[in-house]
Amino acid sequence: MQLGESGDWYEIPSFQVFDWHRLTPLTWALLTRQTPQPGGQKRTTAFLLRKLMTVSNGGGLEESSFVKPQECAQKPEHTTGLIQRLLEKQKTPVLQEKFVSSLLDMGFSDVHVNELLSIQPGTHPQQMLDIISELILLGLNPEPVCVALKKSPQLLKLPVMQMKKRSSYLRKLGLGEGKLKRVLYCCPDVFTMRQRDIEGIVGVLKEKCLFTVKQVTEILHRCPYVLREDPGELEYKFQYAYFRMGVKHVDIVKTDLLQYPVTKIKQRHVFLERLGRYQTPDKKGQTQVPNPLLKDILRVSEAEFLARTAVSSAEEFEVFKKLFAREEEESEGCVADEESPDEEEEGQKEEQEL
Amino acid sequence: MAALLVRGVRDMLKRADFATVPRRQRHKKKWASTEPKFPATRLALQNFDMTYSVQFGDLWPSIRVSLLSEQKEPEPENSQTAAPSHVSWACSPNLRCFTFTRGDVSRFPPARLGSLGLMDYYLMDAASLLPVLALGLQPGDTVLDLCAAPGGKTLALLQTGCCRNLAANDLSTSRTSRLQRVLHSYVPQDVRDKNRVRVTSWDGRKWGELEGDTYDRVLVDVPCTTDRHSLHEEENNIFQRSRKKERQMLPMLQVQLLAAGLLATKPGGHVVYSTCSLSHLQNEYVVQGAIELLDNQYSIKVHVEDLTHFRKLFMNTFSFFPSCQVGELVIPNLMANFGPMYFCKMCRMT
Repeated sequence: MQLGESGDWYEIPSFQVFDWHRLTPLTWALLTRQTPQPGGQKRTTAFLLRKLMTVSNGGGLEESSFVKPQECAQKPEHTTGLIQRLLEKQKTPVLQEKFVSSLLDMGFSDVHVNELLSIQPGTHPQQMLDIISELILLGLNPEPVCVALKKSPQLLKLPVMQMKKRSSYLRKLGLGEGKLKRVLYCCPDVFTMRQRDIEGIVGVLKEKCLFTVKQVTEILHRCPYVLREDPGELEYKFQYAYFRMGVKHVDIVKTDLLQYPVTKIKQRHVFLERLGRYQTPDKKGQTQVPNPLLKDILRVSEAEFLARTAVSSAEEFEVFKKLFAREEEESEGCVADEESPDEEEEGQKEEQEL
Repeated sequence: MAALLVRGVRDMLKRADFATVPRRQRHKKKWASTEPKFPATRLALQNFDMTYSVQFGDLWPSIRVSLLSEQKEPEPENSQTAAPSHVSWACSPNLRCFTFTRGDVSRFPPARLGSLGLMDYYLMDAASLLPVLALGLQPGDTVLDLCAAPGGKTLALLQTGCCRNLAANDLSTSRTSRLQRVLHSYVPQDVRDKNRVRVTSWDGRKWGELEGDTYDRVLVDVPCTTDRHSLHEEENNIFQRSRKKERQMLPMLQVQLLAAGLLATKPGGHVVYSTCSLSHLQNEYVVQGAIELLDNQYSIKVHVEDLTHFRKLFMNTFSFFPSCQVGELVIPNLMANFGPMYFCKMCRMT
């Protein structure tokens, strides 16, 4: 905890456990100074100090991170974490009011405010405010902010600096102005991910796949799951679509092709190709049969794909998938050698002519 | 797919497993094309797309996807599997065949050398067995296999145990030596001698003159465009541009071979003509052409036998094309990826 710039009350920095012994005398000093009356209050003070000691010997850091002077004397002794309760009361009425009013100013409703307060009760309001502000500044509306934070409360724990840095990077990628909503929903780790992982994906899209900056933004916005993919696999997926299927950049973006698992793309594509219903366009971009629309291949359900696009049965597709999976496995295993050992055995060659 | 177990005269076929030979692995495609622009396999596919889309109409896509997908192949040797659920079918005496149920893509393990120093089974496309079965050998028959190499069907013929004499011929000497090796590996010496198996490398078209009116049963499994094979193997592919003339002459060659086979049959004897192609031109047209030729040039009457009953026996295992003018055609289907295999049984009347 840092000395808050906006805080109007005094905080004691938190220490590692081994530093606690240094704090104790100070606390003791504070307490004794505060003790207004002798006698009855002495007992309170003593009890309080005993509590502090117990905490320091093995209690959690949270509980011992700081002590609010006047709170110590006023609070009744409650065995289950006196310090913890003290900590909860860190939100002085003044600060809490400020927090709530800031939120309301930003457009949050009362309901929202309550929700937010209940997400991670231990979080410092200033921290929460900073995080929430960043999200608002990125163009998210209050409702999506609540949804996102509820879904991924760990966001509230992020250091604000990291949050700011990541926000500006996302803005640079074109993901401000509300585009972030979908990304955050699908890929909440977009703030917690390592910078270089995001850069890896963006790098693949820009340098390897040669998408324009605008197209990259579009892809990240519409298919946020790409952020979770392995860069190598993402590149392979693109190459498959571009070279093997003959789909151009514009269409890859328009049809959200990159969001589909590569297995599904390959299965459906090769099935259609072998049926004779899909052809890779030649150099001039022409095919002998009109290829079905990509959305009729990938976006539709399997049942509809089979009924309308492939005009084949579910049984056949199931068998095909198995055979194809095996072919894929074997082509990966086969490095350079063309002949399998089985073929050396007598009488097993050229079985087509018998 | 059928594999034959050959152990000895007394210990005839105990078990036959179906599987195909593992075809050569294709090398990996590269993004940039460094292969020949129009490999023969692609020419084959183009040819098939043109002719078979017309011939089969709506059925063609499902045949096409089956041809282009691998057939059920043997598993790697070291894997252990539970006994496959199989369908066994009744065949000629001594011939028992096994296949996996429809839609099952399991594989048979490859054959191994058995205790007698012979391979324990021979893996082949199950549909290849059908012409042999259709021929319906009876004990004591003299049999001719006019285009025998590489020998799978020859083995099956021997396997029935019905052959008094078996003459196996193939024009190509390299292929007949293959045939010899196959027989050597699978058939015990005494069987080979006892059945009096004779292997020759003569021109099949001459058989009418060589051994006219000789045989009870004749199998004419002619050279054809080997449709499935031609889609996968580049080597020696008949769709290479250099073999165009040869390919165009095939139907004529096939008619001549069938005619020779018919001439070599005794009156009252039976002939089965078979190919592994889907093409009308190599199948029904050839049968009709040969029958006509025998009628016109030799005044020999040949009658086509109806195989409906036979087909019904195997309807659950194979997919048959419903509209053959003569003969039967097994078409590949993903659920039962056998064939293509065309066969037609004839009886020489005079």
